[in-house]
Amino acid sequence: MSVNAGLAHVSTDFMIAALLIYSLALLAFAGDYAFGRPRRRAAMLAAKPAADRAAQLATVGAAPASATPAGVVVDGPESGASESNEAQGPGSNATAPAAAAGPGNPIGGAAARPVRPAGAFRAIAEAGPWVRAAATLSAIGILAHVIAVTTRGFAVHRAPWGDMYEFITALTCVAAIFFYYILVKYRAWAIGVFVMGAIVIALGLAETLIYTPAGPLVPALQSYWLSIHVTAMTLSSGIFFVAAVLGIMYIVAERYRKRVAAGKAEPNPLLDRIPSGAQLDKLTYRAVVFGFPIWTFGVMAGAIWADQAWGRYWGWDPVETWAFITWVIYAAYLHARATGGWRGIRSHYIQLLGFASLLTNIFVIQIFVTGLHSYAGVQ
Amino acid sequence: MTDVHSTTSKAAPASEAADLDREATRPFGTGPAEAAESGSGGAPGGSATGAGWGRWAWRQLTSMRTALILLFLLALGSVPGSILPQQGSDPASVTQYFTSHPALAPWLNRLGLFNVFAAPWFAAIYILLFASLVGCVVPRTFKLVGSARTPPPRAPRNLTRLPQSVTYPSALPPDAAVDAAATVLGGQRFRLRRPAAGDAGHWLAAEKGYLREVGNLLFHLSLLGVLLSIALGGLFGYKADELVTEGQTFSDTTAQLAEFHPGRLVSGSDLAQFSLTLDKFTANYINSGASIGQPAEFNANVSYTTTPGGATKTDSIQVNHPLSVDSVKVYLIGHGYAPEFTVRGRGGVAYQEATPFIPANTNTMLSDGVVKAPSASLGFEGVFVPTAYMAGGTTLESIFPAANNPEVSLIGYSGNLGLNSGAPQSIYQLDTSQMTEIAGGPHLMTPGSTWTLPGKLGSITYDGTKQWVSLAITYDPGQIPALVCGILAIAGLLLSFFVRRRRVFVRALPGPDGVGSVVTVGGLTRTDASGGFEDEFANLAVDIADASSPSSPSSPSSPTAGPAASDDHQKPEPNNQSETGA
Repeated sequence: MSVNAGLAHVSTDFMIAALLIYSLALLAFAGDYAFGRPRRRAAMLAAKPAADRAAQLATVGAAPASATPAGVVVDGPESGASESNEAQGPGSNATAPAAAAGPGNPIGGAAARPVRPAGAFRAIAEAGPWVRAAATLSAIGILAHVIAVTTRGFAVHRAPWGDMYEFITALTCVAAIFFYYILVKYRAWAIGVFVMGAIVIALGLAETLIYTPAGPLVPALQSYWLSIHVTAMTLSSGIFFVAAVLGIMYIVAERYRKRVAAGKAEPNPLLDRIPSGAQLDKLTYRAVVFGFPIWTFGVMAGAIWADQAWGRYWGWDPVETWAFITWVIYAAYLHARATGGWRGIRSHYIQLLGFASLLTNIFVIQIFVTGLHSYAGVQ
Repeated sequence: MTDVHSTTSKAAPASEAADLDREATRPFGTGPAEAAESGSGGAPGGSATGAGWGRWAWRQLTSMRTALILLFLLALGSVPGSILPQQGSDPASVTQYFTSHPALAPWLNRLGLFNVFAAPWFAAIYILLFASLVGCVVPRTFKLVGSARTPPPRAPRNLTRLPQSVTYPSALPPDAAVDAAATVLGGQRFRLRRPAAGDAGHWLAAEKGYLREVGNLLFHLSLLGVLLSIALGGLFGYKADELVTEGQTFSDTTAQLAEFHPGRLVSGSDLAQFSLTLDKFTANYINSGASIGQPAEFNANVSYTTTPGGATKTDSIQVNHPLSVDSVKVYLIGHGYAPEFTVRGRGGVAYQEATPFIPANTNTMLSDGVVKAPSASLGFEGVFVPTAYMAGGTTLESIFPAANNPEVSLIGYSGNLGLNSGAPQSIYQLDTSQMTEIAGGPHLMTPGSTWTLPGKLGSITYDGTKQWVSLAITYDPGQIPALVCGILAIAGLLLSFFVRRRRVFVRALPGPDGVGSVVTVGGLTRTDASGGFEDEFANLAVDIADASSPSSPSSPSSPTAGPAASDDHQKPEPNNQSETGA
């Protein structure tokens, strides 16, 4: 079980490459954020006069229907229903109000037929050069990142998340993949600059501050439950990472818009481009919904492993306790979204508190509090 | 789990909901008539009788707001348990904390902060939380059963007001168009409702995703099951620690187990009847490179019998590989060296044993121990090093954890060991208050060497080195139930997050000039936790349009129809079969 130095070297090189490519993707996302949207929006307004729901409701005349259902696109606050309303200016051929289709009001002419939603990759292709570049670079960066994590695993003959450095690199890899998934699924270009920015910062800090050379594991970690437990923890942490970035965006944007609405702040063209609160809220919730069952499973897998290694499945070891605290806070977030007075910005504070406790567990408890989980390998 | 405590629907914005037929958007998973009960916080209704107050208190307890606060308290209450040393896992550190913080420690102790997870206030939080949970889940279970018997609501009059809707012309007459839609939705296992005999109009109501609520309830009930399983283990389980030297045997009886922690309802006769011998213990360490000295493998070869006088079996216990005997598990949790000594006094051999030494440094396995030979009035304090190295020619150190060059350094004492005073004494400590140090110590010994003590007191021989292991013997009958409940909880969580409860309505009106029809499809979901109803609805609408409008081209040529248009959705043949799910 010796370390394959050549592979370990390959891993380090690919990790640096991933970091560089992510930085380029970040630049492209920033370019789209700064310059891409107005042009694209103008193009959309010209090409799709009766976009989204308005087209589906319009029943008279041959209005071309938008392929994109309302409420899915997360492409800045002006997209979605409000945009289609703007599109119904004078001269628009979406003429008949929906209410006209009521009973006793037979409709004539050939109405629009429903169409299936457009494929996500086609949406990327149509979203302009900045988004195309950003999506391509992100994909290449993720590929390099996955190769880096995998080769490290082969170099040490085990799952490559045995110490703190490996955990952070794997976590950011998951975050990047999950970000790409919501980028594609929800056409969420506008969050790219923030999420990719956070990924680049986290990975960069891991490379510079806590880089640990590849090494073998102590007997307590030599179990296939390491792969299962830590994989689940890494997956869910990466997803919660994305949710936390979205939550911060939500809070910043909501506070800014409230201040503008109250006349306390000047409109800021950059902040104006953050997607609307409702869209961010929904995305955040979906990210947590994705991460929470995996976290639950990870805690359970950890309990099974603890039972095999230490003779009890739950012992309130500091790291176990903080995993439990994190679980409880995310559960509170899920409940808060269904409780009057706790929706919106308050629920996002809870969600961020959950991520803070996750970070506390990794960076404070595992390093400074002695317990059975003291494997971080950070000097 | 998002809404187990909430009962009102947030399906549509209030302004829209006011215009909708109330029936169509009636809360998912509930009967037609239902009062909002969550978080009202109002005064007790009606009379101020005890029952009224009781009902009010119960409603407060089972409200979502209370559950939320209890969740926060649970998280907050756990924090001191991870920062302060805990009696259950690390009693030595608690004692140390008392010595280093003499003023603060008694107060923390009064608050139960050294045993947080067994403290009454912590129990109060989780018991209230589970009471709140039960108070929500049980009524909801009845409502779920009720809703499973209730057909979907009637289609609202104006489907275009629903969050999702689409209208298109069909060549089929209204009744056939609705029949075709029924075939599509029925084929996708929607539950259907058609107009009753007296109802006017051509419509169809379809509903799907009842498993979402089932999952929600399953998750919460499983958490309750986990709690009960833990209680089961606490009442009927036990845990013991045992130190065994190579060649030694111990039996699983209360008399022989060193640290026995039985559950509240466990007596000695409940213990399993096995006995176990440690044949050999091996530890392998990495002997080169950056992580030199780091352990690579621990392996305890044991032989055991499950019943007294039964057949002997052998097995090896490793760190992540416990031994299962009956329902009891035996874990390897520690190891060390036990140098073998023979002590001879004036009357011959007074002591001949392998003596467990306790590692003072777990990296180098430098260990401390004592030898007590009361019949010869001799005692020794010793340091054992597995790989000896004389730092600076004077200080004995260990440079590697394996026994490559074992040496023992002893200081001898003669006199009264104080064992007859009646006060309990640790076997790892020597009371030298009534003893005098023997000249010549510390005396360095290699295996096989003998130190002849001055003054004809006797001699001590270092015969060789054995190893010892500490084993944890645990029995927890709650383990399997907890595992099953945990798996069910995750299954419930997945169902409640990834199944969405949704309703699809179809309404067909006669077409212009009495030819064909105009079909409107409307859709509605409630908590679409994982997203995707928009896409599902768009695809369903295409399927329904294809089925109910057979004369037009099957795939409408739209400039914006992407690759998803070639989805592998079946295109049902239109037929006149009438399906009613009600």
